[in-house]
Amino acid sequence: MFLRTSLYYQAFDGGVIPISVYAQIFPQLLEGAFVTIQLLILSAILGFLLSFLGGIGRLSRIDPIRWISGFFVEFLRGTSLLVQLFWLFYALPLLGIKLAPGLAGILALSLNYGAYGSEVVRGAIQSIPKGQTEAAIALNMTPRQQMWHVILPQAFRTMLPSFGNLFIELLKGTALVSLITIPDMTFEASAMRTNIEANTPEIFTLLLLMYFVIGYPLTLATRWLERRFSVGRL
Amino acid sequence: MRRLKRNRVGHLISKGSERVSEMTENNHVAVAEAPQSNQEQTEPIVRYRKVSKSFGDNQVLKEVDFDLYPGERVAVIGPSGSGKTTMARLLMTLEKPTSGTIEVDGRQLWHKEVKGKLVPADEKHLHEVRGDIGMVFQHFHLFPHMNILKNVSVAPIKVLGLSKEEAEERAKTMLDKVGMSDKLEAYPANLSGGQQQRVAIARALVMRPKVMLFDEPTSALDPELVGEVLDVIKEIAAEGEMAMMLITHEMSFARDVADRIVFFDEGRIIEQGRPEQIFTAPKTDRLQEFLKRFELNGSSS
Repeated sequence: MFLRTSLYYQAFDGGVIPISVYAQIFPQLLEGAFVTIQLLILSAILGFLLSFLGGIGRLSRIDPIRWISGFFVEFLRGTSLLVQLFWLFYALPLLGIKLAPGLAGILALSLNYGAYGSEVVRGAIQSIPKGQTEAAIALNMTPRQQMWHVILPQAFRTMLPSFGNLFIELLKGTALVSLITIPDMTFEASAMRTNIEANTPEIFTLLLLMYFVIGYPLTLATRWLERRFSVGRL
Repeated sequence: MRRLKRNRVGHLISKGSERVSEMTENNHVAVAEAPQSNQEQTEPIVRYRKVSKSFGDNQVLKEVDFDLYPGERVAVIGPSGSGKTTMARLLMTLEKPTSGTIEVDGRQLWHKEVKGKLVPADEKHLHEVRGDIGMVFQHFHLFPHMNILKNVSVAPIKVLGLSKEEAEERAKTMLDKVGMSDKLEAYPANLSGGQQQRVAIARALVMRPKVMLFDEPTSALDPELVGEVLDVIKEIAAEGEMAMMLITHEMSFARDVADRIVFFDEGRIIEQGRPEQIFTAPKTDRLQEFLKRFELNGSSS
């Protein structure tokens, strides 16, 4: 209570009017936003690929592939993203592998969200009726062709809403990388807060808004994709 | 040509199966006018030997021996759960036999010969042999994400390696044959069951298999749609070089189309023979019993 009051006075003493406060905060957050978006896109691409690798791996007819992908998926889902991030950034260098902060961030994010994505992929593939595979076999398609031309295009439609969710989760997850010195949007916000503590409410309000501005188009894009892939369905 | 075909096949049956004793048609026509590749035609295209299949404790096929000849049309009848569908699924490689062998055109299907010994076939071997077989399913199984033209042309492109133009040309010819050429752009969900099944037939035919399996192709259809599908199958049967195995509950259809009827019960072939004999003078009690159930329908004559 005391703290809150002192902040208020500081702001008051500075005599800053809100509009110029935002003008001061925004450029710096915007810089962070570019980093956030980069992280988001790179982790999403890698995580997307890992989702299919893990999801299809868990359905493989070859036992070791199934076991290994199963272990990784469950392990990564069952441990904290923050701890994974710290492990890659702080622990791994002591084992002799030093990753740049950005790389560690992208790796942790894509592995973690890729593990969740694997379950989305696996579930969607398993939801396709067996008759579809049988029809593909009857046309003498190879297992790869069955997967690529028959199963995945149908399963993809089922995956979209879940992937959309994960994508937005991932955006929010990127905030954690600020803790391993990556200058993303949240990092910039925290930095500013230490400098101009009085404007903390403005800084974090704007930060929330900027996450929303990045995140909401993702929701819209997912919906658009869902419509596009609904062709032929009633 | 149709008549000749029947005669030739009839001739073959009399050689191949001891149960078929009566040949009503004149064999000399066939002998005189069927010189082309008669040699290989006397060999069955499909040969089941002591084939058994169990699902857990349930043995659905019990050491079945069965031959199918090139161009021959066999209707398989019998009560539900008698193993008829499993016969087709084993040949289409959708299920693996528990024991026994199946030959397709002289090659082992589920086995590979390595140094004179039979070892279980791998996917590559199945892929090679399976190309001779096509199948139409009870529930059609069209690909819902592809339009009709794509449904029928995708396998010729991807599996047979035809160009898109060639494959679509072939697909259109087949779709024309089943009366679906006005729906090329439609999606399966927008078609009636009968239309979907006709497309499924075109999709199987376009691969030009030597053997076509029809697994109760009209059982999932509304009664008023059964006719259009049966008509299409009859038409194909009339012109085809293909051997056909028709698993069906439509007795009058079986009688009209088939050269031979095979009656299954409890995982065994109980009786087989020409349609006239099977339907007018069944020998076994079980077949008589089975056919009685259909007499009530009365539509067969």
